[in-house]
Amino acid sequence: MRLSRTAVGNAGIRQFSTASVCRATLQAKSVTERASSPWTLMAAVCLQRLPVISADCNPIEQQFKDMILQMELEKSVLSDHELQLLEDAERMRRKQADDYDSDEEEGRDGQEIMLAQDLEDAWEQKLKSFQPAPRARADVDKDLTSAQRCLAETLVLLAEQQVGKEKLWLLPQTQWQEGETLRQTAERALDSLPAGYKATFLGNAPCGVYKYKLPKAIRTENTVGTKVFFFKAILSDSAPPKAPKAPLLWLTKSELQRYLKPAYMMKVDRFVLGV
Amino acid sequence: MTLALSRSLCKVLSRQTASSSFVLGEHHHAVQSPWFAPVMTLKTSAPLRAEPKKRKKVDPRREQMARERLKKKLKKLERVPPELIPIEDFMTPNKCLDETRERSSPKLSFEESEGRALLLKEWSRYKQKQHKAEVQALELVLEAQREALEELKLESEELYQAALKPDTLLFPFVHEGPVYTPPIPKYDAPDGKYNDVTKVYTQ
Repeated sequence: MRLSRTAVGNAGIRQFSTASVCRATLQAKSVTERASSPWTLMAAVCLQRLPVISADCNPIEQQFKDMILQMELEKSVLSDHELQLLEDAERMRRKQADDYDSDEEEGRDGQEIMLAQDLEDAWEQKLKSFQPAPRARADVDKDLTSAQRCLAETLVLLAEQQVGKEKLWLLPQTQWQEGETLRQTAERALDSLPAGYKATFLGNAPCGVYKYKLPKAIRTENTVGTKVFFFKAILSDSAPPKAPKAPLLWLTKSELQRYLKPAYMMKVDRFVLGV
Repeated sequence: MTLALSRSLCKVLSRQTASSSFVLGEHHHAVQSPWFAPVMTLKTSAPLRAEPKKRKKVDPRREQMARERLKKKLKKLERVPPELIPIEDFMTPNKCLDETRERSSPKLSFEESEGRALLLKEWSRYKQKQHKAEVQALELVLEAQREALEELKLESEELYQAALKPDTLLFPFVHEGPVYTPPIPKYDAPDGKYNDVTKVYTQ
């Protein structure tokens, strides 16, 4: 940090004096650049809800899983619990045999109280009394506006926005304003949605770009077309949206094709991972 | 100076000769008093020959030497490398090597072992395809990002520089991974009590 006082009175104490000079020249340069560039800049946010539950196994994965469990069982040694089970079974067999002499038993106090099998049954009962939430619910899966659908896959948020004359389904976007970085524009785009979603943006760099030229009729010297930069974000909490009637959709990668324009889809398809 | 020295020497000699003549004179008397030891012997007796007491320098030095020797011995002892902490996972506990625990495994039929070998090969092929698909998808993602940054650079240098800056607030990033069943809303989990018996080693 460098403090410098200029001779001129109204300047006062200026910190980062050289840095501010550099920034001024950069800004001047960028203003001239921006003035000359015919593209309008927009930033869009690719909000993803990551999978909540593990996906179901393929047939081959299921087969392999069974085989591996079987192999591991064969190669293992007996555990304490299994040894106890065998011992109890042996004792029961000896008891039920005709020539049974209780005095010959190596008596251990309390051996009759709890057999290992009874313990196992008790544990089984306890497991049955617990009801886990169902992995997949058909009615929620069909509701495209819910963030709880298709818990095993990543969902991407789409919003219906006015672009030019028509309403299109696309990733939520807003126009870039002077004096902010593109990431801030993307954050503004997210905040402008009626549903208050909290997200973590992944880095300052855009993950994709889509540029389109305006139809020749509207094209002027200053505006040839638009460049839309996409920024990835991960949904922090899947709280229900405040405005249930908002034109928002949560779609999997395969469903995106039905709603997005083909050229747009081609660009978005690259950075949205289907995993 | 030499004159003074010679004068003092003469004086000493004259004194000596005087004393010796005095002694000799005394000899004429039959009794020799014990209190009158010869002056020559007085001057050269042992206590007078010894140096004056210089204990103040030698003792501190000797004590310091002793302390240094002790410190060196301590350092040698401390140089022993610290005991390595045993890795519990690598040591099979003796309980597992007990013979009574062996499982009676049924013999596998030929078809079964063949089936297993074929399934393993199928699995490796499936996994290789999966890995290739993942690598390709990642390459596409990187290509898309590179293109976006190129376009941004063409647009404005300032925004490009802002995009290149690392995001310091992102890490440490925490996200709960997928579980088997979705979380039950408003579920009151019972308290799980357990005794932690892990052995903690200190070096």
